[in-house]
Amino acid sequence: MAARGPNAIALDGLGKKFRLTHDRNWTLKATVLAGHRVRYEEFWALRGLDLEIPHGSTFGIIGGNGSGKSTLLKVLAGILRPDEGTATVDGRLSALLELGAGFHPELTGRENVYLNGAILGFTSREIRRRFDDIVGFAELDRFIDEPVRNYSSGMYVRLGFSVAIHVEPEILLVDEVLAVGDHAFQKRCLDRFAQLKAEGRTIILVSHDLDMVGWLCEQTAWIQQGTLRAAGPSPEVIDRFLDGGAAGAPTASGPRRRFGGLGPDDLVRSVDLVDANGHDVDGVGSGRPVRFRVRYDAGRADEPVTVALGLYRADGTHVASINSGAASRAVDGNGLVEVDYAIGALAVQPGTYELSVALHDHSMRTVMERHTHLVRFEVEPTGGDHQNGLVALGGTWSARSDGL
Amino acid sequence: MPLSRLPRSRRDLHVLLQVDLLVNLTLRDLRSKYKRSALGWSWSVLNPLVAVVVYSAVFSVFLRIQPSVGDPSGLDSYAVFLLVTLLPWQFHVTSLTEATRAITANAPLVTKIYFPRWVLPTSSVLARFLTLLVEMAVLLVLIAVLQGHITFQWIPVLLALMLLQLLFTIGLALMISAANVYFRDVQHFLGVALAPWMFLTPILYPLNMVPADKEFLGIGYRTLYQLNPMVSWAKAYRNVLYDLRFPSLERWLAIVAATGIVLAIGFRVFNRLEPRMAEEV
Repeated sequence: MAARGPNAIALDGLGKKFRLTHDRNWTLKATVLAGHRVRYEEFWALRGLDLEIPHGSTFGIIGGNGSGKSTLLKVLAGILRPDEGTATVDGRLSALLELGAGFHPELTGRENVYLNGAILGFTSREIRRRFDDIVGFAELDRFIDEPVRNYSSGMYVRLGFSVAIHVEPEILLVDEVLAVGDHAFQKRCLDRFAQLKAEGRTIILVSHDLDMVGWLCEQTAWIQQGTLRAAGPSPEVIDRFLDGGAAGAPTASGPRRRFGGLGPDDLVRSVDLVDANGHDVDGVGSGRPVRFRVRYDAGRADEPVTVALGLYRADGTHVASINSGAASRAVDGNGLVEVDYAIGALAVQPGTYELSVALHDHSMRTVMERHTHLVRFEVEPTGGDHQNGLVALGGTWSARSDGL
Repeated sequence: MPLSRLPRSRRDLHVLLQVDLLVNLTLRDLRSKYKRSALGWSWSVLNPLVAVVVYSAVFSVFLRIQPSVGDPSGLDSYAVFLLVTLLPWQFHVTSLTEATRAITANAPLVTKIYFPRWVLPTSSVLARFLTLLVEMAVLLVLIAVLQGHITFQWIPVLLALMLLQLLFTIGLALMISAANVYFRDVQHFLGVALAPWMFLTPILYPLNMVPADKEFLGIGYRTLYQLNPMVSWAKAYRNVLYDLRFPSLERWLAIVAATGIVLAIGFRVFNRLEPRMAEEV
């Protein structure tokens, strides 16, 4: 790779505005009648953004919903043109904004690989050379000559990811796509990122998943309302984001500090810890039963929802993730739906824990809503014996000396 | 401006013209067009066939329009007279109709991935052009049968004519596909405009049926009529395939000028409208 300057990406006073037309009836007639003065409001999604991302770095971009992250990504990808300032991209860039966006359902996997590759800037010869790798990585050898409309959502996404990752970009933009695929595939994606990182390529990850950003990215930028709030080493920026994010949110009393907080427009209405009698609790004893109870507005969801829960230790260690699978989809509700995840014995060590909640569509391909570190709760010590580590094994000691 | 940087090597030219992307998108269009239909590609043959039967019945039998006798070929067949202009006209219609929606129908792609957007309308025109090539080949065989000998010498002239029409259509497709992103009225306007446009082009009748002696605001009917660039193509196609005669120099000049102007305006308009496409689509 011939790195020309020190920076893979340099933003200088970058600004991007959108027009919010209140009347969507934007026809020729309307324009002619209004004398080309169609009324609209200007809205700056990004303004005065200065940022430098050096070659070979792994860089995270975080921020709340509507902070301008996705707009920034689209400007970097060349999809949107800035209205102010400049965005300089130095090197071949590939953006994973939506996997398999260019797939045509009636064409076979093979035909779509060539088509998608061409859209991403590959020549047919270059794709032919990597074709076996692409198909192998997606594990689709047996199905590659089937029309992709017969693919499962997982197969579809794997193939899309595989094509995009084999383009061998110097700069890779990733938007939240790691939330797809099964665990084994996610792991291979992360391995592939690590490999790209080792090869000195630049990776830019935009994500709500702060653990992922903290784990994968050396540097992070926090964007709020279209401007840069902080940039620097990931742990510092993430900490500041968590503090700042909590400041504006309604604070709950006691230890159940709500990080992101739930807004009136969110589908998720509440997330609670419930004891065996159905009472809300603020904490739970290590090794004791507990239920995680999620209520969401099924009436506004338009389609069956899968609820995913993530349990994290306060230091960010990922303890477990589970999703409701078919259970929540079986309920047909037009109002509130309540989903319980009952745990017989919460087998974690005492400490502070956080619960993340996400709503997916039934295919698990798109995240409808995600609330990271929504509920914080304490796991209290039970029993007298001293333990350390992550898991409460729940065993019992015994000792004997006779007859040995 | 895709054509502003001069290519320095074959590879540069390859990239500039987006050869691989155009090939793949054109193939996508052709491959997916008749998927899951029982008759498949037969539909593309049925369409001109039905048109010829109906137009021949109405215009040749009922209205008794006399096709001019081919000079010097001596051909005297309304069906051939019609087909030599109808096939290029149908290419014109289907290309523009499909190209109009080329960007709006690919909105998911346009908002998610950056690639030069001009390849979208261009590839849908190219796909229709490949269909035209096949249809014209069949027509050449038909003419050869009627003539009793094969007219190989006219094939290069025909190809030149078709290539110019291809570029002309791409120019128009660029303009209207970009405009349609901002004003969806364009696609409806096109639907309204194409029918009168066909009747104002000498496809169903010979050009000499347009009165040369009548005037409108001091300008001759024939002169006004010839402002329609498709008249030149219709006349030239008929010269080459029906009369078996080389089109006049003026005809060629008119065709080349129309192609150059429309292609240049097409690219200019497209490049002006391209930056905000992902927002407006």
